[in-house]
Amino acid sequence: MPRAELLTPSGLGELTAALQRTTSSSRLLAGGTDLVRSMRHDHWEPDLLIDLSGLRELVYVRLEGDRLRVGALTTFAELQTDPLVRRHARCLAEAAARVGSAQIRNVATVGGNIANASPCADGVTALVALGADVRTIDGGGRSTVRPLEQVLVGSGRTSLAPDEAITEVSFAALGSDRRTTFVKIGSRATVTVARLSMALIVKYDGVSGTVSEVRVALGAVGETAFRDARLEELLEGRAAHEESAHLFADGCTDAVRRAIPGRSSLPYKQRAAVGLAYDAWNALGLCDRCQPAWG
Amino acid sequence: MRLSLIVNGMEHELDVRPTARLIDVLRLDLGLTGVKEGCSEGECGACTVIVDDKAVNSCLVLAGQMRGKKVLTVEGLADDDGLDTLQRMFIEHGAVQCGFCTPGMLMSAKALLLADPHPSEEAIRLALAGNLCRCTGYATIVAAVRAASEQPAEAAPPPPATGRDGKAV
Ligand SMILES: Cc1cc2nc3c(=O)[nH]c(=O)nc-3n(C[C@H](O)[C@H](O)[C@H](O)COP(=O)(O)OP(=O)(O)OC[C@H]3O[C@@H](n4cnc5c(N)ncnc54)[C@H](O)[C@@H]3O)c2cc1C
Ligand code: FES
Ligand code: FES
Repeated sequence: MPRAELLTPSGLGELTAALQRTTSSSRLLAGGTDLVRSMRHDHWEPDLLIDLSGLRELVYVRLEGDRLRVGALTTFAELQTDPLVRRHARCLAEAAARVGSAQIRNVATVGGNIANASPCADGVTALVALGADVRTIDGGGRSTVRPLEQVLVGSGRTSLAPDEAITEVSFAALGSDRRTTFVKIGSRATVTVARLSMALIVKYDGVSGTVSEVRVALGAVGETAFRDARLEELLEGRAAHEESAHLFADGCTDAVRRAIPGRSSLPYKQRAAVGLAYDAWNALGLCDRCQPAWG
Repeated sequence: MRLSLIVNGMEHELDVRPTARLIDVLRLDLGLTGVKEGCSEGECGACTVIVDDKAVNSCLVLAGQMRGKKVLTVEGLADDDGLDTLQRMFIEHGAVQCGFCTPGMLMSAKALLLADPHPSEEAIRLALAGNLCRCTGYATIVAAVRAASEQPAEAAPPPPATGRDGKAV
C-alpha cells in the first residue's frame, strides 16, 4: 500500500497550496473522531491527509452585525460553553453538549460534523434549524458561501469537492424574543448516537402568549437533517398551552412518516417523535409541563 | 515522517508513519503501556490521555496532530513526591478492580479537576461518561474523584509508597 502523506498547513495560504494537491482519495483531517476511526475500522489510508488542526485562525465564534460566525475548527466543547452561542443559538450549544463524551467534544469540530454528513450529526440538526450557510475555500483560493442544505447531499455524501475545505458556518443570531432547544433520543442517556433528534426555534410573544416563525429540524430520520414546512406551519400563531403541544406531537409523527415511509424503523421513530416533541416543547418553558396522553 | 512530541514533560524526536495514531506512538514507540486500548473507536475511554489540559481519546487522533502540544499519560501523573491525589483516592476508595479502565478514568478525572477543582457530582459523572468500567459499577470511582476534589490543594503529599490509611500502595 502506498504510504499516505500528512500535510500540516498552519495558515490559509498553506491550506490552499495543500488543497491543490488533493485527489478524490485525499482527506482533510480535523478532530479525527470520524476519520481516524474509519481508517482503522475499514483498513484504508487516503493518499494525502491534510491536517487542519494547526489552523488556529479557524477557531472562533464572532457576532458580526446580526450574524453569528463560527470557524470550522471550533470544537463542540467550545460551542457548548461559548457565551455568544448560548445566548444567540442555544439549540447549537445544547446540541454540542450532547455530542459524544467529553473526550470526543474536546476534539470533534463543527466542520467535521457537517463534512462527515451523518444523518445523526447533532450539530447539523441544530444548524439546519438555524438556517446556516457554509463558507468554503478551494485549491484556487476561491471562497464561496452556500446554504448548508446544498452541502448535505445524502447520508455520508456532500457536494464538497476534493479540494474544498469548510472554513466557516454562519447564521442569523437569535434575538431575545426567540426560544430554542435541541433534544435527542438515543439508546442510552449519555454518549449516544441519536436515533432521533430535533432542534426547535420559535418566536414567542409574551403579551399575546403565542408562538410564530417556527423552525423545526429533524435529524437521524432519512438521509440528512431537514425542516418540514407543514410541521412548522402547524404551530404558527398558536397559543403557548397544552393543546399546541399535542398538535405539535401529532405533527412530528406525521413529518417522520413523510420522511421515511414504509421504513422498518418507522414505528419506533414515530413513537420516539412523540416523546421528543413533548421534550422539546417543555424545554421552551412557555407553559406548564405537558405530557403525551399515554405518558 | 519526523515528529517531535512532548510527553510527560519530556521531548521526544521520533520517526513515525504519517497515519500512526497517538496511542500507537505512546504504547509502541515510547513504551507507555499505561495507555490502554479497548475498543479503538472512542467508546470505552481506556486510551484517554490529556492533551494541553484536555481529555482526549488517543485512539482517535494521529500522533502527527500533536505537534507543539503537551501530552500527559498516566505515567506522568505521579511525581517524585509520590502518587497524585487522585491515584491515592482511587486506591483508598476501592475504585480499582481489574484496573483496565483505571488509567483512562484517572486522566478524565484529572482533566476535570484541572478545569474545575470542585466539581458537582453531576459534573463528575458527565466527565467520566466516556469511560466504561465493567467491574466497579462506577460509584467508588465517583467517590474517589469527589474525595480528591475535597483534598486541600496545597496539602503536602504523604510519604511515597504509603497510602493515607498507612497501607502500602
Ligand atoms: C464515540 C463517538 C461518539 C460520537 N457521538 C456523536 C454524537 O453524539 N453526535 C454527533 O453529531 N457526532 C458524534 N460522533 C461523530 C463525530 O464526533 C462528529 O461527527 C464530529 O463532529 C466529527 O468532527 P471531526 O473534527 O472529528 O472530524 P474528522 O473525523 O476529522 O473528519 C470527518 C470528515 O469530515 C471531513 N472534514 C473535516 N473537517 C473538514 C473541513 N473543515 N472541511 C471539509 N471537510 C472536512 C474529513 O475529511 C472527514 O471526511 C461521535 C464519534 C465517536 C467516535
Ligand atoms: S480505545 Fe480509545 S476509546 Fe476505546
Ligand atoms: S476496574 Fe475493571 S474495567 Fe474498571
